[in-house]
Amino acid sequence: MNKTMIEMKGVRKTFLLSKSGIASIKTLLLWWKRRELAKLDVLKGVDLSVRQGECVAVIGKNGAGKSTLLSLLARIYKPSDGEVTIHGRVAPLLELGAGFHPDLSGLENIYFNGVILGLTREQIQARLPQIVEFSELGDHIGAPVRTYSSGMQARLGFSVAVHVDAEILIVDEVLAVGDYNFERKCFAKIDEFRKAGGTILLVSHQLELVKKIADRVVWLKNGIVVQDGSADEVVAAYLAEDPANN
Amino acid sequence: MLKELKELWGFRELLYVMVQRELRIRYKNSILGIFWSFLNPVVQVGVMTLVFGRILNIGVPSYSAYILASYLPFMFIQFCVLDSAQSVLASLPLIKKIYFPREILPLATVISNFIHLLIGFGVFFMFLLITFLRHPQVNPFQIGTLMLPALLLVSLMMAIGLGFLVSALNTFYEDVKYVAGIAMYLLFFLSPVMYFTEQVAATGANVESGNWLFRIYHLNPLAVLCTAYRKALLAPVDVPIRGAEVSPPVDLNPLYYVWLVVFSFGTMIFGYWFFNRVKWKFVERP
Repeated sequence: MNKTMIEMKGVRKTFLLSKSGIASIKTLLLWWKRRELAKLDVLKGVDLSVRQGECVAVIGKNGAGKSTLLSLLARIYKPSDGEVTIHGRVAPLLELGAGFHPDLSGLENIYFNGVILGLTREQIQARLPQIVEFSELGDHIGAPVRTYSSGMQARLGFSVAVHVDAEILIVDEVLAVGDYNFERKCFAKIDEFRKAGGTILLVSHQLELVKKIADRVVWLKNGIVVQDGSADEVVAAYLAEDPANN
Repeated sequence: MLKELKELWGFRELLYVMVQRELRIRYKNSILGIFWSFLNPVVQVGVMTLVFGRILNIGVPSYSAYILASYLPFMFIQFCVLDSAQSVLASLPLIKKIYFPREILPLATVISNFIHLLIGFGVFFMFLLITFLRHPQVNPFQIGTLMLPALLLVSLMMAIGLGFLVSALNTFYEDVKYVAGIAMYLLFFLSPVMYFTEQVAATGANVESGNWLFRIYHLNPLAVLCTAYRKALLAPVDVPIRGAEVSPPVDLNPLYYVWLVVFSFGTMIFGYWFFNRVKWKFVERP
């Protein structure tokens, strides 16, 4: 128990922003000597470690680098510098329903999403009843996803993600989509996940929610960790700096 | 590159599902569904038989079969190049949210097209059989047909390599798909699809150049590929040249086939290497 699941050491991430907008061969040929690429340092040396069973929340203003941090953990990006080490299977919930194809049915999308998250088709087959039941989609599961409301897509996405036996759940502000009942169900599921030894890293602007479920809070400001400590302590400091943050 | 190959193997299940998805989506909202995959080559056979057998009447027995034997692999390469140009771009929203080896995207496009090629050849052989029943002198099965798996493998390697290159480049520079479209259009006429390699050899310009034009012409690996299929699958045939004359069948120099294999294998390796080099930049393209 209590082994380190996520380890970030001196992680930096720099993005190149093109001012001209569209990349094309013409601009490449015409402007190759004076291409205007602005550099944007989003993360400037972040150290973070999360141990098994912990629930860590990342807070901070828009543009502080929270989503970039989660994307690095989900292996969407490679860090420009530093190291990211992850032990265990990750289920990223960066945007519910992002991996769905609108023309395929809910059922077909469950297979598709499940396989991306690392299950075999047999494993998905075995869990299919639970996934469908949790999503509360009923008969709609056979209809194309484009006919779903955003709430229905969110339910399906969450349902798949929590049933893939991930050891680490990475959640980016996505629980606010469903209705009240479903939200409660999600939190119940998250509790269950944690009791089973699962690790969670989440980003949220809802400070009350953060205080409720996080053991530890990391305050990110302009790409640097300002404070890393207990939830009450860090949230209080964050509010003290600017009461408008709430 | 070995590390990436190992990871790709770990995700083979996803590749399978992706191919299935591509095949399903293609005809998802159509009534005939997967039946279109059969109907397309059937219509192609019908049109070619009508045009070359009845209207143009070239004088080569079952001319349409000779056209199709080159047309099917050419179309396969063309569809692979044009489809894979969009394969990464179309999935950009997906790969911004979730990790999987990005190679799977162009690979799935190429493999689903490959399945359509196999269906096309299925129809092709049925057509040969029907021709055989009507004209028993046309043997539908050549000894060279045994080479078909090797030819398919070479085509697949070429398609995979080109798919990797085009999909990676087009993600950064969307002009690439237009360039590729024009290039494939030109190559269609620069490859012996609608005509025979013997006719190229017999042109006055080629004879004057001391056969050099013929050699340069075959630097185009697609030209070699088209002829390779034709020679392997169908009986050698006399081809009309310069109006009234007739050229006996000419075998291609084996060196051209070596070039084809080297090109295909090299393109696959280089494409895979290049794709892996830039794949992390897809989601960050400025």
